[in-house]
Amino acid sequence: MFSTPRLITIALCAALNFAIGAIVYLVKLPIYLDSIGTILCALLLFPDRWASFICAMVAGLTSVAIIGLLVNPFYPWFAFTSVCIAAVSAFITSSGAHIFRARPAQPGSFAIRVILYGVITGVIAAIVSAPVVAYLFGGVTGSGSAFIVAMFLRSGQQLMNAVLLSGLAADPVDKVIQVLIAALLYRSTPADFIALVRGSGMPARA
Amino acid sequence: MTPNGAAVFAIVTLAAAVAANLRGLGTLCFIVAAFAATEVRGPALTALRRSILIMLPLAAFMLAVWVGIVGRSPAEIAARVDGSRLSAFAYAATVSLRLFIIIFVVQAALMCFHNESPFTAIRALTLPLPVKRLVVLTLSLIATLRHAVDRSHTALVSSGVITRRLSLRNVMHGWVLIQSVWLTAITTVLGRVRDKWPAENTLVLLEPALRPIVRPPGTADVIWGAAALTGLAFVIFERVSGAA
Repeated sequence: MFSTPRLITIALCAALNFAIGAIVYLVKLPIYLDSIGTILCALLLFPDRWASFICAMVAGLTSVAIIGLLVNPFYPWFAFTSVCIAAVSAFITSSGAHIFRARPAQPGSFAIRVILYGVITGVIAAIVSAPVVAYLFGGVTGSGSAFIVAMFLRSGQQLMNAVLLSGLAADPVDKVIQVLIAALLYRSTPADFIALVRGSGMPARA
Repeated sequence: MTPNGAAVFAIVTLAAAVAANLRGLGTLCFIVAAFAATEVRGPALTALRRSILIMLPLAAFMLAVWVGIVGRSPAEIAARVDGSRLSAFAYAATVSLRLFIIIFVVQAALMCFHNESPFTAIRALTLPLPVKRLVVLTLSLIATLRHAVDRSHTALVSSGVITRRLSLRNVMHGWVLIQSVWLTAITTVLGRVRDKWPAENTLVLLEPALRPIVRPPGTADVIWGAAALTGLAFVIFERVSGAA
């Protein structure tokens, strides 16, 4: 399960989550972009769905720990969201792996799948995160999406409704962007690296 | 103090901070300040500065949202009463204090070992070997990604694809930068796995290098572990007596 190339992929994807997620958090955009590495990890290991899920989950949890320690103290409470995103990526999103790497590209299929998988991931992430945001932090975390929660609260919505509506408004958009970036990065990843990760053998030197 | 002792102190204090009310947070502040003053000493100021740098923008953001936009606390929202900005301020201040304690405990625990490299501190922790390997690899690859960003940025600026300042061209070609950062990181990793690490025998050498040097818990570990547990007990007592 955890061969050296897979451990390196997990670490690389966790580092990617950290690098992009930390920047987006610090500039307070109403999106997160903190799970691109998790989705990409699931795509890279695709045919073996359990390995895909376990490795994506470990990548997600590693980045949760590092972002929580270094940048965003709210983040560790969303560890379960990260596990759910890993599960959706491994068991649903990775079904589109062959379309994402198809040559020549199939823009129609590509776009439909990115939107579909992004929305599914976003809705699940919103539902799973809502109780944490509402009951642990009273609806406002440090991310830019807090502005949307605040607007709903101001308009007279109850806390849980405001958090859920905010999540359902922001998360699908955020996750569509994340799936798009992950799919494009997956498309541009060299085939010998993917073969190495999937355990099809050590690539020969060029 | 050993890294294991510092980790235990930090974890117990974090658990207490999550559950604490305002009085509990005050008690934890006292324990953490005493820990910083006696165990961390001079570098505690660095930990304090870092914690303020992380927490200040976050606190300002929360105050702006709660006091400026929402204008009442979550309890008032749940009770469907007209709240006040003062209670919203009190709520945001309490959450900010809680988060500040969490950040400062972690930073102070890390600063206990400012003279040691991250590798040495990770080595001394009692954790399963694969977990340590993963943490070391991730930290190393975060540095690799940073180098990849620098290289790709310089290459794309010098080739005229993007510019150093804000520009429309950067918006249009931003994707090229992301893609080239990823490809640079991948090729670096492939080079390491295929050529560098086998030649240097890195992975075989990493395993014994990460095996912990046995450091038995010292007096400081016991004292601060007990202090953290006392803080946790006080927080639980406060909650139980408050609920009753």
